Amino acid sequence: MIPKSLRSGRLAALLLGGLAVLTGCASDAPLDTLEPQGPIAETIDELSDPVFLIAGIVFVIIFGATALIWWKFRDDHSTDEFPEQVHGHLRAELGWTIGPAVLMALIAVFTLLTHFDINGEDRTDIVVSVDGERTSWDPEVVVVGQQWWWEFRYYFDGLDGVDLSDPRHLPPADIVTANQLVIPTGSEIGLKLTSRDVIHSFWIPALNGKRDAVPYRISPWKIEAVTPGVYFGQCTEFCGLSHSRMRMQTVAMDPADFQAWIDEQVQPAAEPTDAAAQRGRAVFEGQCTRCHVVNGINDGGGADLVANAAPNLTHFMSRTTYAGGIFDLYQPDGSLSRPQLEAWLRNAPEEKPAYAEGRRGMPAMGLSESQIDDVVAYLSTLGSSPTMEVIAATEVDR
Amino acid sequence: MSETTASPIGVYTRPKGNTGWRDWITTVDHKKIGILYGATAMLFFLIGGLEALLIRLQLATPDGTVLGADTYNRVYTMHGVTMVFMVIMPLAAAFANYLLPLQIGARDVAFPRLNALSYWVFLFGGLFLNMAWVFGDAPDGGWFAYAPNTGTIFSPGKGMDFYALGLQIMGIASLVSAMNLIVTVLNMRAPGMTLFKMPVFTWMILVVQFLLLFAVPVITVALFLLMFDRNFGANFFNPEMGADPLLWQHLFWIFGHPEVYILILPSFGIISEVIPTFSRKPIFGYPFMVFSGIAIGFMGWGVWAHHMFVSGIGPISVAAFSVSTMFIAVPTGVKILNWLATMWGGKIRFNTPMLFASGVVSMFTIGGLSGVTHSLAPADTQQTDTYYIVAHFHYVIFGGALLGIFAGFYFWWPKAFGHLLNEKLGKWNFWLMIVGFNMTFGPMHILGLQGMSRRIDTYSPGFGFEFWNMFATIGAFIIGLGVLAFLLNVWVSARAAKHAPPVGLDPWDARSLEWFTPNPTPVHNFDDDIQVEALDEFWHRKYGQDEDGRVVRVATAEEVCQDGSATDTHLPSPSYWPIVLAAGLPFIGFGLMYSLWFCVPGGALVLMAIYGWVFEPTDDPDGPHGHGHDDHGHDDQGPDDHGDAGEAAAETAEEAPVG
Repeated sequence: MIPKSLRSGRLAALLLGGLAVLTGCASDAPLDTLEPQGPIAETIDELSDPVFLIAGIVFVIIFGATALIWWKFRDDHSTDEFPEQVHGHLRAELGWTIGPAVLMALIAVFTLLTHFDINGEDRTDIVVSVDGERTSWDPEVVVVGQQWWWEFRYYFDGLDGVDLSDPRHLPPADIVTANQLVIPTGSEIGLKLTSRDVIHSFWIPALNGKRDAVPYRISPWKIEAVTPGVYFGQCTEFCGLSHSRMRMQTVAMDPADFQAWIDEQVQPAAEPTDAAAQRGRAVFEGQCTRCHVVNGINDGGGADLVANAAPNLTHFMSRTTYAGGIFDLYQPDGSLSRPQLEAWLRNAPEEKPAYAEGRRGMPAMGLSESQIDDVVAYLSTLGSSPTMEVIAATEVDR
Repeated sequence: MSETTASPIGVYTRPKGNTGWRDWITTVDHKKIGILYGATAMLFFLIGGLEALLIRLQLATPDGTVLGADTYNRVYTMHGVTMVFMVIMPLAAAFANYLLPLQIGARDVAFPRLNALSYWVFLFGGLFLNMAWVFGDAPDGGWFAYAPNTGTIFSPGKGMDFYALGLQIMGIASLVSAMNLIVTVLNMRAPGMTLFKMPVFTWMILVVQFLLLFAVPVITVALFLLMFDRNFGANFFNPEMGADPLLWQHLFWIFGHPEVYILILPSFGIISEVIPTFSRKPIFGYPFMVFSGIAIGFMGWGVWAHHMFVSGIGPISVAAFSVSTMFIAVPTGVKILNWLATMWGGKIRFNTPMLFASGVVSMFTIGGLSGVTHSLAPADTQQTDTYYIVAHFHYVIFGGALLGIFAGFYFWWPKAFGHLLNEKLGKWNFWLMIVGFNMTFGPMHILGLQGMSRRIDTYSPGFGFEFWNMFATIGAFIIGLGVLAFLLNVWVSARAAKHAPPVGLDPWDARSLEWFTPNPTPVHNFDDDIQVEALDEFWHRKYGQDEDGRVVRVATAEEVCQDGSATDTHLPSPSYWPIVLAAGLPFIGFGLMYSLWFCVPGGALVLMAIYGWVFEPTDDPDGPHGHGHDDHGHDDQGPDDHGDAGEAAAETAEEAPVG
């Protein structure tokens, strides 16, 4: 709705900072708000770019005028005479009251158009097959924040009959995953945001602005990606101790890959075959299932945490990050990033600040080294690893 | 010098004009209270500044380890709380106290004892809040303290109790002071000074007091509810029990947005005095300046939810607040253009006060423009809670409010202390600050647009945040050098003044009523009432017009100014009770946190002080009633007297203020 010719607002952003090297440093900024990758984020960008430009022009005018005034009207001690004593100029002042008001009114029109646009819903059903059954899915994902990670719940029969009123006791979902939101490209995906403890904020800057996840409230939001890829995010509402370590990614796949992903995710965990993994499973059932869910072992039930939930690990290996999206599960060569995972199992609060004693965050489990090896062996059986492209693109330890 | 033969009548005597520290703790002189406010706020400024430097050290490099997550959260919380409630607000109060009675030609504020109470309550509230560091349990929920993160489940220590109670205590100070100054302005102006002959500074302070009067109760309610949630098992903000966590946000920001104008308008007032003086022109469009200030005051109440654009309040609300926020830019823009128009055609002298005032005009312009960019609700969904916002409000509050306060320091220092601050160091002070400030906060626009979240204690490498964070940290230390230059200046100038002749009566060729008095201001302010005929009365007595309409000097400052020699001015007596009353409040605070028994001594102190206050004689029992000559006052006070802290005592007459 705003001419493309006006869209050079980045220049103004530069001026706003008064500094001149923005884009050179921004090329490797995965959270950059000025590089929209989807239609919703682009709509926002198209609104804000011209305003950055206008702000930049006003900035130049005001600063230019100021510099001119300071230079032209400085006291050069050439004369003792007083300057003309002007007390005001009604028309000028009315002008610079009404002028900006008109300008703001104009901006307001575009703002409201964009605002209602990005707050409207324009979803179309996607046909997916779940457990061999074809179903028409109104693409909405339930996004649940808690200290300090994100959960994503997929209900392929739609959310109409799903009672979301108590975020700590949500009805069983077809897929429950954490930290990486997987979506198909080319479709607007609705999000229903809520929280199990404090307020968080879900933000994938390349795909849309942010929206808070407020406990016991459902806030609608949406994202859309055009091209397959990985889009980074970060919790932006201060949510306590590890706020800075609450990150997320959106993995956009083309519809066929998304269907393959569904096919895998709806399967329960496979039984481990090798001895170490079997021992690990025993440890896992003894210790970890107090909080973590693995479909096929302990479906459902509340975790022994304030949030009443810990990440569902059924397809742990299909994700590339863990612990609130701050650690890579894989090394760049595709192998398991073992030392970090072991350290996490050994003493999680040491790796990521948490109040484990207050039942917020994963505690130190007191596992022996051999138990840790076994649990790692077991976790390695949970789900299959994603493609090398995804591993490379999702790397958080950059 | 003022010790007299007064025979005490129990505890209810009023303190005499003691010298030294006794005078400072019992004074009801608005000028001394103003100085106390300023000195205390500057101490808190150093604390808040150290906290800022710690924040910048932690964020200088990725994966910083200077503070750690827990300490970082406490430090950034206290940085915000300190700078807002213990630095900018009381610094504005310092100027309001010192100057407002002088600018309206009054002897003191309407309720001098209440004025002292405001200061002491602020001091004890600030000390109470900072005691949280001593207890190792500083608040960790951010200055905005969003529920439910501040409940006992998520913030189990005592930190948020210090926050809730400390701010309630300081709120008392603001409320009392607001009522006091409103009554003062409305009732005690010099003859002839109609509301529209008041200086712009006085106007802005008046608007701010009304904002405080209506805003502080709102946050007090919020803090009170939080206190009940945390200490008495209430559930006002507990969503598990059906509460709506957005209630806190609404209450906080209904206070919090007017608070922004509470912070900035005093500085707008200050520079509206400085810019005309140093441009040698009257303020351009006085009515527009006043009405835009009033408009900001009113509109400031209709924009609070722009802090909540992404909180899920619904698209209609967001749309309404988005539009109202855009239009509040209009009166602010008017002010900026009017300041520029004041300078236009002037003869600008770039003394340090003018440098700082110019800094406000340009830096606030940047803050205002970035403010417009996030009044667009859709754009704000990208910008809010990123460093772009941090950049914005530092340009407003540091670049606007704080630089304006520094302009005020340099401008009115001779008024308060009888000597100028050193110009050379002043220029160092200004340039270090302005360069450091832009280095620190300019790059934060970029960081924010690159997606750096606020309130994060660390960030990983590879997000493009490294360079500008390091740059900003270097800038922050340059600001620190600027602050040191100011402190050095205060010290150097005071030393130099001992061996130098006193500053003249009118060092800046100023315009308003406070300059009728000698420097420093004598304890009784004015010798005689001033008959006000015009805005800028002082200037109009110095200058007239010749037949060609040119400005000509008609009188020297010496001819116009009063010599400060009056000895029969009736002044309110000092009082013990304000400090006693204030000292009781922290005990009550500790009692609510640790054991209700502590409330007993605190409550006893408060009650005792109230009784003492009520029964305190309104007059010195030994002094002559009526308009007689003060028998223990100003015998040694001549026109060149530098106003030693000693001469505060004087009698009060039958019209003695009852405050």
